Amino acid sequence: MQEWQFVMPEKKHKKKFFGNLKAEVIDAKLCCHCAACSAICPVYGITAGDKPIEFPNWVKDCVDCGACVKVCPRWEYKPLNGVGNYVEVISAKSKRFKGQDGAMVTEITATALEMGLIEKAIFVSRDEDWRTKIVTIRDVSQLYDRKVTGTKYCYADSIPALKEAILSSKAVGFVGTPCMVSAVRKMQNSFKKFERVKLVIGLFCTENFYHHQLSEFLLKHKNVDLMKATKTDIKKGKFIVRFVDGSRVSFPVKELEEIIPSGCKVCQDFSAVESDVSVGSVGSESGFSTVLVRTEIAKAIVDKIRERGTAEIKEPDMGAVQKLCDYKIKIHPYPPKKKEEKKEEKS
Amino acid sequence: MKVEKISRSPIAELKRHVDVIQEAFKQALIPDRVTVEYPRERRIYPDNLRGFIVLDRSKCISCFRCAQICPANAIQMSLYDNFYPGVDYTKCIFCHFCVDSCPTGALASSNLHDMAFRSLEEMKVKATQMTRLPTIVREDKQSVEYFVTKKDWKLQRKKELEDISVLRIIPRIKPRRAFCEEPESCLGCRQCMEVCPHDAIVMERCEITLGGEVIGKGCILKVTEKCVGCGLCVRQCPMQILALKEVE
Repeated sequence: MQEWQFVMPEKKHKKKFFGNLKAEVIDAKLCCHCAACSAICPVYGITAGDKPIEFPNWVKDCVDCGACVKVCPRWEYKPLNGVGNYVEVISAKSKRFKGQDGAMVTEITATALEMGLIEKAIFVSRDEDWRTKIVTIRDVSQLYDRKVTGTKYCYADSIPALKEAILSSKAVGFVGTPCMVSAVRKMQNSFKKFERVKLVIGLFCTENFYHHQLSEFLLKHKNVDLMKATKTDIKKGKFIVRFVDGSRVSFPVKELEEIIPSGCKVCQDFSAVESDVSVGSVGSESGFSTVLVRTEIAKAIVDKIRERGTAEIKEPDMGAVQKLCDYKIKIHPYPPKKKEEKKEEKS
Repeated sequence: MKVEKISRSPIAELKRHVDVIQEAFKQALIPDRVTVEYPRERRIYPDNLRGFIVLDRSKCISCFRCAQICPANAIQMSLYDNFYPGVDYTKCIFCHFCVDSCPTGALASSNLHDMAFRSLEEMKVKATQMTRLPTIVREDKQSVEYFVTKKDWKLQRKKELEDISVLRIIPRIKPRRAFCEEPESCLGCRQCMEVCPHDAIVMERCEITLGGEVIGKGCILKVTEKCVGCGLCVRQCPMQILALKEVE
């Protein structure tokens, strides 16, 4: 005879747990669309994809286990912000791979695979229309595909793929936005099996978009067809789309304000504070990426890169990173603006 | 095209005839053919040859394992007082995975190897037909046994006849029980409890304590003595933390 315990989180409403999550997170416009709840749901009822998180028929089908609430990074949300702790910071450019800027996410993953620290890694690829598509990287050769590397600026269901990966292998790498990193950390705290996620690479992030809204906006207002685009980028407050023929369209990111999902508007975590290593273009010159090394495992990988000389390394400008971290706190206040007035009165 | 007549000398022709007559006499006195004259002769099979599958309904716990493991998809569960398996012999490949996977030994092999059916419909054997042991009509006059060595193989014909009453070959089963390998990863979805046909997994509400202090509410899941080791919960668990463990 064997027995074991599990914790039931406290309910805030007299509903099933998904009802609680819906009321407190989704309907409260805090949902960051990380799809952690969709991944953990034991009955696979929660749907993600290119639309807001929902659970059709949850009143009947939800098994009331509370797993979604345990992993949701926005449940009892306390915004993380700042640059966070780091042991080392470099500005680097991969000599082997081509990516968004310095292709350092690709380089770190490739080195981790070669060192045997991880067996597979979850990456986001895209189709012709820039819809996100999850790929599992098992071999370094897969990383030379230009569709796999580079930023997509659209939501992807990485965490459901991550859950499938940890069930089949013992060491997995993961790349994601700060909210996804927080979700993975929450999963690791609640469920031991997620300790198999050995490497979490966080991306610098200000906001993310729904694919259908982004492509519709670009087509309608800017006459940009993503089918012909080769690269999308956000640099110095401008959204830039490059095309096959070399031409480019750029406009201020502020114009995208109307399609920024509500969940991103309360997020203050720019540099993925909880990651093993954070990567982004801010703080480096063109063609280089800033790499914030936060943990031992990431340090070992960066040391290996340096030893092998697979990347060009420079000094970064940390002032720029700090500036953007502060900027994100300013533009994304939490609690949202309505309550902000009260807060000011108190202080 | 015309086929030419083969011309042979009359002596060679005569020699060939003599050879044939000689062989016929030899076969009549000491036959050395290796085929079995079914049904006048019955072949003695080794004990472990897989045969007709029989069912003990009192042992069956309706866990559906046999139906799920069947690679030929030949087993269909039908409802009587409970769900019992029926084997479709148009599909069955006699791998006996069903017999091996049966956690309680309800399914077993028998020493009936030569089955005959009148129609395709009859080949879909129902659970009720599997419970009764069938009988064989005696038609054989002698039994045949093959002896195969590395160098040659021969067969021996014997006058004594084999016992043809159909017997249930009692399978060897190791008692097993569900076991949680990593309780720290339990989602608390209680799907194992829902799926258990014997209500062997039970849940109780409790308070979680850490170092003597109550830190929150939770539940205890228990695998009780009722567990027969059918493995349904192992398949259901979304985190794959359950396994079957042999009971000493």
